Amino acid sequence: MAPEYNRSVKFRAALKREIPAWTEQGILAEDRAARLRSLYELDDLGKESSRLLSAALFTLGSMMVGGGVISFVAAHWDEISRGPKVVLLFAALLVFHIAGYWLRYRSAWPRLGHALIFCGCLVFGANIGLLAQAYQVSGAWYGMFGVWALGSLAMAWAARSWITGLLVIVTSFTWFAGFAEDSHERLAIVYPPLLAAALLPLAWTIRSRALNTLTYFGLICSLPVLTLIRFDNVRYVLIAVAAGGFAAWAAGEFHRATGIRKEFGAPASNLGLATLASAAYLWSFHWAWRWSDNIDWNHLYWLIPAGFAVAIGVALLAKAWARMDESQRRSAAGVAAASLLLCLSPPLNRFGAWPTLAANAAALVIAAALIGKGIVEERRLAFWAGSLFVATLIVSRFFEYESSLLLKSAAFIVCGAVTMIVGVAYEKFLHRREATAQ
Amino acid sequence: MNRHTLYFALAVAAQFLILAAVPAQKIYTRATGRSVTLKMRPVDPYNVLSGYYVTLNYEIANPDSFANSDDSYKGERVYAILERRADGEWRPGSLSNSYPANLPENRIAIRGRHTYSRIEYGIEDFFIPEGKRAEIEEGLRKNHDRARVEIKVDSKGDAALVRLLIGNHVYDY
Repeated sequence: MAPEYNRSVKFRAALKREIPAWTEQGILAEDRAARLRSLYELDDLGKESSRLLSAALFTLGSMMVGGGVISFVAAHWDEISRGPKVVLLFAALLVFHIAGYWLRYRSAWPRLGHALIFCGCLVFGANIGLLAQAYQVSGAWYGMFGVWALGSLAMAWAARSWITGLLVIVTSFTWFAGFAEDSHERLAIVYPPLLAAALLPLAWTIRSRALNTLTYFGLICSLPVLTLIRFDNVRYVLIAVAAGGFAAWAAGEFHRATGIRKEFGAPASNLGLATLASAAYLWSFHWAWRWSDNIDWNHLYWLIPAGFAVAIGVALLAKAWARMDESQRRSAAGVAAASLLLCLSPPLNRFGAWPTLAANAAALVIAAALIGKGIVEERRLAFWAGSLFVATLIVSRFFEYESSLLLKSAAFIVCGAVTMIVGVAYEKFLHRREATAQ
Repeated sequence: MNRHTLYFALAVAAQFLILAAVPAQKIYTRATGRSVTLKMRPVDPYNVLSGYYVTLNYEIANPDSFANSDDSYKGERVYAILERRADGEWRPGSLSNSYPANLPENRIAIRGRHTYSRIEYGIEDFFIPEGKRAEIEEGLRKNHDRARVEIKVDSKGDAALVRLLIGNHVYDY
């Protein structure tokens, strides 16, 4: 597995501050310092932060200017007749895009250009509504979001714009929810694969972590929507959530293990793990299983995209497996087993407390995988997240089930004491490892 | 023209085409269609306006107002055949699954969608300016029996709203 460097701005800024002192004291030779500067791209730090700030300012500023122009036009809208209205709408769109294009590709202000192109796509959405109004076009409310998403998708690809890609996720998801709810649930199953096919390659091409992660978020949200719309049995939503979470986590592990687009790994993996942990926690309550055992066989179409997500996840995990070391495999096997347990829980509902036990077991396995990752890879956040998850599970069970105050008190004291002892032991372990490494 | 410019121009062209397609059907229907005036059914006076549009209700939106209405039309695309009476009013006649051929002069077919409880024709919302909101609301309350809508219906059965007629007032936006 390729070595994983800490690329956070915080760490790199601290490193940049420390290096001059180390070289001055002779701890670090000049040539090594130069290699560190190059490896962590420390000379680009200033440019990166100013780029981020300017991008945020330009986007915010151009959105406010656009909003002001739209409000000004809206104030006089009723007095304008239909023909000039149409000309005004098309002209506004053209002005935003031409200015955006010129600034992005032909000037020294590419970020301002990017912001204007994004605003152009917002204006495009507003224009759809205003044109519909001008010509008395009425129809399903979600239709407008569908065409908005299509136009924005074309621009996201043409301008290689991650923020326009995010607009596509929001607008297309709104369309999808309305379309699926409006008796088109069978056709709507194409949405998750279409969203993935439309945006993941774009995120890949422009190396956008935000777009990649939020596309997975859109996919994770779309699967339970399909299940909830017509399928009467709410507890089966767990399968849809677990399938999406598993796919995102497996994709993240693939990126991390293979080193291909390594920067996509941690956000996708964390998103998937957070989804699986949330699902396991919610369904670990016994009341989550108080639903009928009836399965509506006519509405099982949602299993197609959910199965597709699981298949993709398995394929990606298989690719990553070969590049993982033993401890990483143990952790990955744990998360995969927890996902499987979650998917198998709903059909177990006929067997009394088994689904509740299975969800609790899955939650504990995820917590154990996090704690294991924290110990083996020396990641504090993973260790503490896993420990906190275990403590939350125990506390939740004690509040959920009736037990004597004395037992509750004993459990909380033991839980608190164990957390502290384990925490102190972990911190000592990290210090020992650091001392050994030095 | 480099690749960036070409892709960008294509994306802008796609957005223009989408925008042009939004009102295209209504523009065609308004330009080529035949005028029909429909009587509006009374609407809930406390829910006349939603935002900046009037929600319109018609006799032809009620499936039971058609002589041959039955369950086979539910969830389907339908053609509502209207008949012009001697007093000039267009009233519901029958339903059909396909566009009826050779309709006589006093009949017209409008394409709609049977949504189980009602039939929708894409002429249910009439957008109005903010300044006219109170006036139209008041007019609809006082003259709901004299409220009519002028629509145009093209040769394929598509309908487009043209104007709202309340008493002696005409609202055309």
